[in-house]
Amino acid sequence: MSLFLLNLLLAIAWGALTGKFEPLNLLFGFLLAFAILWVGFRGRSQENYFTRVPRVVELALYFAVDIFKANLRLAGIILSPRMNLRPAVVAVPLEVRTEAGLILLMNLITLTPGTLSLDVSSDRRVLFVHTVYLEDPQQFISSVKEGYERRVMRIVEP
Amino acid sequence: MAQTILVLTLMLIGAFLMALAGLGILRMPDTFLRMSATAKAGTLGAGLILLGAAVYFNEFAIYTRAAAIIVFLLITAPVAAHMIGRAAYFDGVPLWKGTIQDDLHGHYRRSTHTLESGEVPAQDQVEALSESDDFPEEE
Amino acid sequence: MIEIFWNIILGMISLGLIAAFIRLVRGPYLPDRVIALDLISVLAMGFIIVYAVRFNQPNFLDVAIILALITFLGTVAFAYYLERRS
Repeated sequence: MSLFLLNLLLAIAWGALTGKFEPLNLLFGFLLAFAILWVGFRGRSQENYFTRVPRVVELALYFAVDIFKANLRLAGIILSPRMNLRPAVVAVPLEVRTEAGLILLMNLITLTPGTLSLDVSSDRRVLFVHTVYLEDPQQFISSVKEGYERRVMRIVEP
Repeated sequence: MAQTILVLTLMLIGAFLMALAGLGILRMPDTFLRMSATAKAGTLGAGLILLGAAVYFNEFAIYTRAAAIIVFLLITAPVAAHMIGRAAYFDGVPLWKGTIQDDLHGHYRRSTHTLESGEVPAQDQVEALSESDDFPEEE
Repeated sequence: MIEIFWNIILGMISLGLIAAFIRLVRGPYLPDRVIALDLISVLAMGFIIVYAVRFNQPNFLDVAIILALITFLGTVAFAYYLERRS
């Protein structure tokens, strides 16, 4: 966490030094600061900040692609005259234990068009997901677990 | 010119998603499906339109403001959808008759408002309403 | 030329608003209306932002921010009420 703050601070310093607080310039500053911190703190910090940042980026990219695909599918369903629906509420067993991971996972599922996380059981073992088009429950559960839960766990609970 | 095209493209896609959310909420047959259509199509549409506005004004202050609203929307929209979804199921809003699987059935405990991973005794389950009790009579 | 695109954008958002309004009136359950109301304010937010860009008024963006903040509180309050009323 402190490395992340340091990284942000360095990025802001980069913006101040170059005199341009533009998004692209700040992004470049962030990448530059990341590279510098990587050179300086690699292997010496007990935090796994350097493996975490690429994983966050990877999750963001995966999420963006997923949103794009799901949006097209949902648009197809809504605009077709006979709506082709197979809605279902599916219980997905959870492995994520921390609150942060749970919130991140639920938000990601809800933000993907076509799926909606309804609730988590009080003992945090089962997540109930509503989906617009269910082909095969087993396949759906594994797609949630493989697609999102694994990536979230690698970021939040390494 | 390139900037104008980018702005218009972002806003067109955003507006299309918003129209889709509207049509979705109108056409979908039950509450949960409607929520599926609105919670994100609306959020993503708003995000894209905001991004378009930020590109158009091209000022640092507006970029940060747009980023703040987008992050805020991305955090709150799922929370709101989750709260309404839970409240709707608890309130007894029925699922569409074409729903092929309902794993949530029999897991809510009515007396304590909790959701359990195991089956709840039948007398304490939440039941779906048969018809709308939208404006219940005063007692 | 560009005017046409603005009209298309505003027209599409208006279409969404009308559809959401019909759902708000028709119901049939209270959660449906809450969702419709939520969607209406998100769409209104989009409308305001497009308007701000079209007439080059960055100050309107603040209205959109306030709307986004208030909508969330309203929706959460509705959800709370819905769950406790039984």
